[in-house]
Amino acid sequence: MWRLQAVQHKASRSAKDLEEFKHKRREHEKALRQARRDRQLISKRVLLNEDEHQEREFMETDASPLSQEQLQEMIRNVQHGGEEKAARLAFLRKVLRDPQTHLIFTKLENSMYVLVGQLSGHNAQCQLEAARCFYELSHSPHPGVGQSCLPATPYLLTYLSNPNAKLTELCLYTLGNLWTEGAKVRERLLAQGIVCALTNCIQNQRNNLAVVEAAGFTLSQLLQDKEAADRVIQQVVSSGLVPHLISYLKPDPEFGLGPAIECAWCLHYIVSRTCDASALLTQGVLERCSSLLVTLGGAVVKGSTEEGLELLLWPLLRCLGNLLASGVCEGGRCPVGLEDARLLAALCVFSQAYLPTHSALTRESLWVLNNLTAGSTLFCSALLFFNVVPALIPLLPFSKGINIMVLRILGNVAHNGTGYCAQLTQAGLLPAICATLKMADPDVVTMSLEVLYLLIASSPNVTEEFIKLNGIQLMETIQYNNDEEQRLRASYLLDNYLHIHSIPNN
Amino acid sequence: MLHSSLLELLEGSDPTQINISTVPVLERSELQPGRRGGGGGEGAEEADCPFRFSPHSLTLCEYIINISKYILFHLFLTFFSVSEFRCHITSCKQLFDTLEGYEHHYNSLHRHVCSNCKRSFPSNHLLDIHIQEWHDSLFQVMAEKQCMVIFIFKERGKRRNLKPSTVLFTFYLFSKTKEKRTPQQREDCMAVSSLEVSQHRETENCEEMDISLPQESEKPELVPSQQPKPRYSYRVPSSICFGQGSVRGFRGGRKKK
Repeated sequence: MWRLQAVQHKASRSAKDLEEFKHKRREHEKALRQARRDRQLISKRVLLNEDEHQEREFMETDASPLSQEQLQEMIRNVQHGGEEKAARLAFLRKVLRDPQTHLIFTKLENSMYVLVGQLSGHNAQCQLEAARCFYELSHSPHPGVGQSCLPATPYLLTYLSNPNAKLTELCLYTLGNLWTEGAKVRERLLAQGIVCALTNCIQNQRNNLAVVEAAGFTLSQLLQDKEAADRVIQQVVSSGLVPHLISYLKPDPEFGLGPAIECAWCLHYIVSRTCDASALLTQGVLERCSSLLVTLGGAVVKGSTEEGLELLLWPLLRCLGNLLASGVCEGGRCPVGLEDARLLAALCVFSQAYLPTHSALTRESLWVLNNLTAGSTLFCSALLFFNVVPALIPLLPFSKGINIMVLRILGNVAHNGTGYCAQLTQAGLLPAICATLKMADPDVVTMSLEVLYLLIASSPNVTEEFIKLNGIQLMETIQYNNDEEQRLRASYLLDNYLHIHSIPNN
Repeated sequence: MLHSSLLELLEGSDPTQINISTVPVLERSELQPGRRGGGGGEGAEEADCPFRFSPHSLTLCEYIINISKYILFHLFLTFFSVSEFRCHITSCKQLFDTLEGYEHHYNSLHRHVCSNCKRSFPSNHLLDIHIQEWHDSLFQVMAEKQCMVIFIFKERGKRRNLKPSTVLFTFYLFSKTKEKRTPQQREDCMAVSSLEVSQHRETENCEEMDISLPQESEKPELVPSQQPKPRYSYRVPSSICFGQGSVRGFRGGRKKK
């Protein structure tokens, strides 16, 4: 018999069932996507200190996980350790480096109580070792381990203003890791005043860059969370933290880029969520971002291989790009903080230098350049004056949004009229446009036609030059393209500019 | 390599040279309107001018949306949107207030689009099959010569009365006379059905997406220069098994009884 009669065929399900099925499927896929996204986006910090290198060798010789009884024994040793407590805690910490012990440890009856007791005790060394234990637990791969650290959080928060910088740093990373452990933990930390504690920490610990970096990391974890972001940002802005974050946007030759990276990400999250950027602009954020980009541009040109350079570029570019999108650049005036023309050079450097390795950075540098030039005669003139166009034209063959962005920039310049178009043409733009008009991506071709229109409409000389480059044949080919947008534009150019121009006068 | 003037600029420190306010600002001018032969009114030309570009800055959200076809969204989700935005594909005007919502919309409706006929598909695999079916001339030629079978998806037999080791295939059958068919005839000829293929055949069949089924006695009627009548192909090669006791054929199943 035909099998499908015996088995329920898909087509025989009712429409309602089908809708329900589709809905469930969609929800399931959404959950899968969210989980995948969370795995990729949620970051936990794992520190590796020098002394731990030696300890790792020690650990590798003894690879079998400890049993419940052994862990219980260790906890008892800590509790009744007397003078030896710190040493026994240190031993416990080494054991906890093995993630397999986490689940067993947290389920033991006394374990967290003892550890919290040591954390909150009077012995500074014990506090430090206990904090290290919590740190190991905070980046556990096992779900639920983080939640069991909740009893420790009030003390971790208190120690953010502790004079012992090492302890503060550890507490910060622990809190930053714990923040990702679920809504319950986040609610608790917010209620316990984590934002206030972080603000005080960043404001007061200026001299210790390691602490600033750790605090920046933790704050960025808070700001990244969509549900809490609004509350966090409000508190951060009203506490006057933004100028402090801005002040850390400078590389320290000895310490490195860490603090600048973390603070830049914090600023990016704040800027991208803020509707009214004017308050931020008055605090000098444009000037600081611009000057740091110029410094980094100089470093890249010299071939700097400093670690983390790209990590700093992403948030800076996005910060600047977003701030510019609020329209500060329009007209003939220069916005306060962007007077340094070297910024244009720096953006060109990034767009070229990162093309082979991080082409998305190329695209984002160009995006910032687009926002600088859109509607601004000053920046468009500067682009021409400083010979930026010959640096942009070689980027036109590259896809993935790079050539579209370059065409936008050139369009921004050409839109200003005859004088600008003349210089663009002199810089050799027409042959490059002829090449982009032949590309496969329809968006690229349409954008090229837009730029071409601006050039041709600016002066008959440009039209003549274009015709010499076989422009008419090129347009006629496009008239037979699939894409209606392209056909309309090509026909318009032919009817209004090209055929008229080539009609010989009798 | 950067132009030397740009390099000089970057390394420069003289405030008069690096201050952007010292740059001479060129004068702005309006575009010259086009001239039609016979001199039509300017107003008429502006009205049907198809060019739309105007300089404008892009927020990070707009930037991401504009380059959505080149990127994997989730790598950008460290950014959150501030306000509602629209899908930037011209024909689609849907509103979104989160980037995740837009990601899902874009991936289901705009990512796998046939550039020839603009139909969209939820996955790359289905788009490939569509292109083969409709826009691939080599495939058309092959389909003329012999029946082509393409597997859409396969799933392990989960239903009660099938062995777990059996594999189900859903497929399209393209019979030889496809090209000459009207849409109605095409509908009749194509069979979409689930088949049970026994385990030991799996290694033969499921590795390739297209398999050609040998046809036995119809060659004399398929001289390409003639107009062949629409033919229904009921012959199934012995390598495909429909399960014990089933009739070997493609009839039935699509129409509800």
